[in-house]
Amino acid sequence: MNTQLTTTPVATSIAMPTTMRSARGLAFRGIRNIRRLPSAFFPAMAMPVFTMIAFAGTFAAITRLPGFPTNRSVNWFMPLGICFGAAFSGIGLGFSTIRDIETRFYDRLLMSPAPRRSLIIGPLLTAWVRVAILCAFVIPMGMLLGVRFTSGLLGLFTLVVAAVGVSTISLGWGLGLAFRFRDMRGAAVMQLTMFVVLYLSSAQMPLPLMRGWLHNVARINPTTNILRLAREGLVLKTSPDYMSWSNTWGGLLAITGMATLTLVFARRGLNKLDK
Amino acid sequence: MNSFSSSHADPIVAQNLVRYFGDVKAVDGIDITVKTGEIFGFLGPNGAGKSTAVRMLTTLLRPTSGTATVAGFDVAKHPDEVRRRIGVALQDAAIDPLMTGTELLRLQAVLYGIPQAQMKNRASELLERVGLTAAADRRVGTYSGGMRRRLDLALALIHQPTVLFLDEPTTGLDPMSRMSLWEEVRRLNSEGTTVMLTTQYLEEADQLADRIAIIDAGKIVREGKPQDLKAGVGFPTLLITVPSDQTERAKAVLATFGDMRPTAEGSLGVGLRGGANVVTDVVRALDEASVRVQHLEINEPSLDDVFAEATGHRLEGAKV
Amino acid sequence: MTVATLDVAIETTARSRQLSMRQTIALAKRSTFEIARQPALIAPSMFFPIFFAVLSASSFSRTTSIPGFPKVESFMQFTLASTIVQGVLFGSVTGAAALATDIEIGFFDRLLLAPTTRTGILLGRLAGSALFGFLQSAFFLAVLVPFHAPITAGIPGALVMVLSGGIVSLAIGAIMSSVAIRTGSAEAVQGAFPLLFVLLFFSSAFFPRETMSGAYKRIADINPISYLVEGLRALVLEGFTLSAVVRSLLVPTLICLAAILFALKELRRKLAAL
Repeated sequence: MNTQLTTTPVATSIAMPTTMRSARGLAFRGIRNIRRLPSAFFPAMAMPVFTMIAFAGTFAAITRLPGFPTNRSVNWFMPLGICFGAAFSGIGLGFSTIRDIETRFYDRLLMSPAPRRSLIIGPLLTAWVRVAILCAFVIPMGMLLGVRFTSGLLGLFTLVVAAVGVSTISLGWGLGLAFRFRDMRGAAVMQLTMFVVLYLSSAQMPLPLMRGWLHNVARINPTTNILRLAREGLVLKTSPDYMSWSNTWGGLLAITGMATLTLVFARRGLNKLDK
Repeated sequence: MNSFSSSHADPIVAQNLVRYFGDVKAVDGIDITVKTGEIFGFLGPNGAGKSTAVRMLTTLLRPTSGTATVAGFDVAKHPDEVRRRIGVALQDAAIDPLMTGTELLRLQAVLYGIPQAQMKNRASELLERVGLTAAADRRVGTYSGGMRRRLDLALALIHQPTVLFLDEPTTGLDPMSRMSLWEEVRRLNSEGTTVMLTTQYLEEADQLADRIAIIDAGKIVREGKPQDLKAGVGFPTLLITVPSDQTERAKAVLATFGDMRPTAEGSLGVGLRGGANVVTDVVRALDEASVRVQHLEINEPSLDDVFAEATGHRLEGAKV
Repeated sequence: MTVATLDVAIETTARSRQLSMRQTIALAKRSTFEIARQPALIAPSMFFPIFFAVLSASSFSRTTSIPGFPKVESFMQFTLASTIVQGVLFGSVTGAAALATDIEIGFFDRLLLAPTTRTGILLGRLAGSALFGFLQSAFFLAVLVPFHAPITAGIPGALVMVLSGGIVSLAIGAIMSSVAIRTGSAEAVQGAFPLLFVLLFFSSAFFPRETMSGAYKRIADINPISYLVEGLRALVLEGFTLSAVVRSLLVPTLICLAAILFALKELRRKLAAL
């Protein structure tokens, strides 16, 4: 080791790190890892494309049902694919947090004086960047496959808002489980729960065309409102689910409520980490 | 206890620190005081409670009971104040293999609030100090074990802490890397950093520490300066190996020269009351008792003897 | 050769065949117990197919009125066949991943060091998967048939469906085992799993081919999974016909034979390289 050294005096050894600066530092790390470990991000990209193509192709005939909100199956399934991708973008950060906990890298973050909330805001910023990349990739591909926005840019906007909302919810959930389980069992629970919550909604069929127990569950599942928000710019103008404030506020409320709950869940889990 | 910093306060003070994991009492009421500017060694076998104690002092774990202040602040009540003042290099070099050395140092600088203007220089200096300048822009996943430890140390020093915790810093390192790290610890200490070092290596504790606490099963069994602890054991240990059918006769002879001491299997040890001078008398007595000595050596007291005397068993896994 | 020498030779061959059989059975038992002792590994392949079946039955209940949709009592009846295929497809990856793990951790070398029959190493591993496939198929039928999903072909039809499920499991297990032997990596085997998923979706597993159109229909038309599922579905919807039985058994059997031969070839190649 070098014995000659000139020391730059640090402004103070008792420095005060700020929340946003620390969060940005952590977000840059997360974004860098997208490039350096693409296999971890690939499922979140592949899934929406696959969902869009496979579901739209397999279930294309459902658009022939009277009252179906659109006559293009890709219009119906692309938002679902994007919401899946957004959900797994958030969950993916839960996986990487578990990895950091298992390798003890997370101890380093916990031992730093960075405000604790930056350990949640940082990954949240990463999740949003992931969703932006996802939308930038999937939406043009959807349009090549025949997707048409019936309400122009506003429809695109509501779709992206829904995706960002879903990724926020799933990030909170993923982090909360990661902090509680601290190993890969948490990953299995994350995947299963997100899958179930997303599917027990109007994921595959509009609410009015559903029957039985699923209709009752989907009616009260906030994800149904979020999917309505995501799709309102892609359904026919004559459909009751078309772009309107009444089809929008429910989704925004669901996003706000669920995001608040899951982020509080994450924060409480973080508090438990050093108990 | 006053929880606000005083320039004369001891940097690390723990009183009756206890930590349970379920029903298991990992740390059983330890009292430690580390003076400003000293290197304090925490020596004990695997599972003794060293790392648990360090994790409490570095705010990663809450004590079940008891109190601790580090750098003048209570670890439970003011953890953020403690974190700003301490540097920690844990047992497992906690680094992200996907990042480069430079990136990790910069992230650490951000998390410790080091101003942007100083970040780059500080990172470069530390990389040079630990000899990683050439590897700075390589991903840490490509580093050797020794390089990771050095980077870990650099990360712990980014904010010029007054108190440094090193948890088994040389475990798994080759002898050259170990010596190099010892040099660095001595240099840091000479610059005024108080160091608390946990180790299972006797020689490391002996060489580096001004004072040592020996921990076993969660309790501190001995504390003091290495030379005083060894002197307290007193007599040198005579170790012999004899045929297995002559063990009892050999024990009877040795017992007349001092107290028997625990040894590795297959050998017998005795603390020679008369010192090294009486070795010939021992050999003569064994010969008269028709005991054939296959191997004989005499050892001055070591920290392992200190441990053995305090606990009744050798420091398992202790490396010399 | 003298008579005595010939007698000894025949006896040696018979004993050697007996030993091979015993070894294969022992390895089959091992792979079966391994699966049984790790419920977390098999739970997804039991839970998800049933979940999707129940979900689809409720979600798509009105789609049975779409022109081109076969005459069914319920969507559940339609989806019974694809539930079996889905479940055994996902479940059969487990055995191959375990074989890859054996190679990774060196247990495979231990088997090679012992006088173990080489074919037995592979077949023993696949036997566990096949047995699991049989049990899975029976389980799915037992759980779902009571929910408005009667099998027109009755008990014989159900037995053929269970047999077919086991053969499919064996076939996929053999294909994945080839990947395991070639790569020696459990991760590579797991990585091949999405391909099965894609293959399943681009078929008539989840919706009738008659309602599809364009390129998607063309893919489903040439996908062997479509014919496998339609064979099983014919047992459920049409009855115990020769055509249904042949499609349910012939397609998986042909795939299975080809897959096992390929896997054995991979194994011989690997052993030759040692």
